[in-house]
Amino acid sequence: MPKVKNWHLGREIEYSYDDHRPAKQWAIVFDLNKCIACQTCTLACKTTWTSGKGQEYMFWNNVETKPWGGYPLAWDLRILEKLGRQEWGANGEYLGKTLIEAAPANERVLHYAPTDEDWMYPNIGEDDCGGGTVDGGGHMGELPHDKWFFYLPRTCAHCTYPACLAACPRKAIYKREEDGIVLIDQSRCKGYGECVRACPYKKSMYNPYTRVSEKCIGCYPAVEQGIQPQCVVNCIGKIRVMGFISPPAQARRDNPIDYLVHEKGLALPYYPQLGLEPNIYYIPPIHADRDYLHQMFGPRVDDAIAAYQALPEDPRASGLLCLIGSTDRIIHRFDVKGGSAVGFDDKGAELVRVPVTEKIIERAAFDARIGAIRNNTP
Amino acid sequence: MSRNPDWHLLSTLVVAAACSGAACKGKKSSPAQEAPEPPAAPISALEVKAVNADLSVPDPAAPYWKDAARGQVALLAQPMVTPRPEVTTTDHIVVAAVHNASHISFRLSWPDSERSEAGRLGEFSDAAAIQFPVGDVTKTPPMMGGPELPVHIFHWRAQYQRDQEKGKPEMNQLYPNMSVDMYPMEFKEAPSGTAAQQEDFSPGKAEGNPQSYQKGGVDEIIAEGFSTSAVQAGHSGAGKGEWVNGRWTLVITRPLTIEGGSSLAVGQETGVAFAVWQGGKAEVGSRKSVMMSWLPTKVL
Repeated sequence: MPKVKNWHLGREIEYSYDDHRPAKQWAIVFDLNKCIACQTCTLACKTTWTSGKGQEYMFWNNVETKPWGGYPLAWDLRILEKLGRQEWGANGEYLGKTLIEAAPANERVLHYAPTDEDWMYPNIGEDDCGGGTVDGGGHMGELPHDKWFFYLPRTCAHCTYPACLAACPRKAIYKREEDGIVLIDQSRCKGYGECVRACPYKKSMYNPYTRVSEKCIGCYPAVEQGIQPQCVVNCIGKIRVMGFISPPAQARRDNPIDYLVHEKGLALPYYPQLGLEPNIYYIPPIHADRDYLHQMFGPRVDDAIAAYQALPEDPRASGLLCLIGSTDRIIHRFDVKGGSAVGFDDKGAELVRVPVTEKIIERAAFDARIGAIRNNTP
Repeated sequence: MSRNPDWHLLSTLVVAAACSGAACKGKKSSPAQEAPEPPAAPISALEVKAVNADLSVPDPAAPYWKDAARGQVALLAQPMVTPRPEVTTTDHIVVAAVHNASHISFRLSWPDSERSEAGRLGEFSDAAAIQFPVGDVTKTPPMMGGPELPVHIFHWRAQYQRDQEKGKPEMNQLYPNMSVDMYPMEFKEAPSGTAAQQEDFSPGKAEGNPQSYQKGGVDEIIAEGFSTSAVQAGHSGAGKGEWVNGRWTLVITRPLTIEGGSSLAVGQETGVAFAVWQGGKAEVGSRKSVMMSWLPTKVL
């Protein structure tokens, strides 16, 4: 089996096909400290792409509450249980097996097959706390408190080494050279469901009406026009940004995604140990259980949280975070100077300019011009 | 944090109840005892005798099968490509064939303890296929053919037969307890879309994938190796299966001569190969039982 370079794991891994990175790689960074699970992203995706027959329970984008929520049910727990305990090395390299390396001889990927019922409760576990028991109520009497949860918005990760693509016996799944978006060819898929079994993140979904499988298409019609996906541009919390990520050796300091992932180490891939090099990256929540975060984001999570907590002293990173959600267009390059953060498109044209610190204006409580008391109620 | 209101907005779009109990489990039958099939000796070649009957319509119960030579053919869990079945679920089939100079019919019989017609997520259909070489049988690989050595496959599924007999199931047939307010372009009070516009919301249909449309019992497929199978337009083959007491009996019939596909001729020898899928054991695609070589077949 070919060996490919997986920089998330700091080593070569086995993959079904030869190493070939696309010219550009679609990626999203999410700031989990800001997500409020309003599901606006979910609805934006749902109304755009999956309102048809056979898609009633299909959410290419979903937001689940961790640790208890999961769509489909317990997807993370079940694949982690199947893989078993694995270890990271002291220098951050992964010592365990990936899903492809751990596959039985008759399979391409170690997997589990979710049942119909597993998909039927898309928002199960919402707001359920982790951390200890809740005897006598889950009150939080002291800080830091031991009860915790966080929201995890998820799309297809358009992995560099997709399990769905590796598992498809019909070669009906492909990764686009121009942007790395992974697509299921709707004219060629025959609905065997191998990708539904194989994707550990469970972002390939079966449509029983068309009898073929479907998945998040990364909003490629928008991306082709320089516009970010629906789930990103509709995010009212401005917690996510889509752009293109480079491998570490080609990382550019003025590329927003490269800066957050490579330069600052603020954003991490989730469950990198599964070995697919997923391209959705998360700024981890600073208040959640650290062991849980280690399991989900790997050994660099402590550094990422420290970097996040140091943001007030970092005008460039703070400025970049202000750019998130400030434009529908894909920001290829950014700069922070003179108190402003500026985003540019792929041709160097300015897309947006925002203040890093909003100006504070104090007004008198009484507006003599109209004879009314001002208040802050919008 | 309170429950967010947007999620409830969604529930007005799609309100569905989990389907529970056996009532909505589809067509799966409980395991039944295998019906006795008269014993058949293993064969290493198949002789196809002529009969004086109309073979254009497949008929597992036709009287001409009583006189046709029957033989047993061994199958093995597909061993060549992953994913493979862990065990062989169908270790043999009983085969017979007849022709009438215009059509050739194959009668296949194999044990399968549950009838599976697929439909919902994770449900797979019982199925069988007969494969013919398009060119020289001695050069054509018996497993899906090879580059420029195509094979011509007649693929029957219980699911496709159900389509043919009862129509392609709608979502409310697959999920009877599901309630949906509306689909795009299909509003109850004001239907606003053409059929083509409605199909735009079903990607498989919009792309013209044959899998997304009603089937006629048998798919005709051309393949030139693993991963290359492609459904062909125009169905000159037909199939009819009957599941009785834990046993499928299936007849697939086809014209002897098919332009652009495989052809058989009276007096000539070729090869055929068979494959069986047990849907109840989650067999689909490359998870199947197959023959390891062509079965020499002479049309007498």
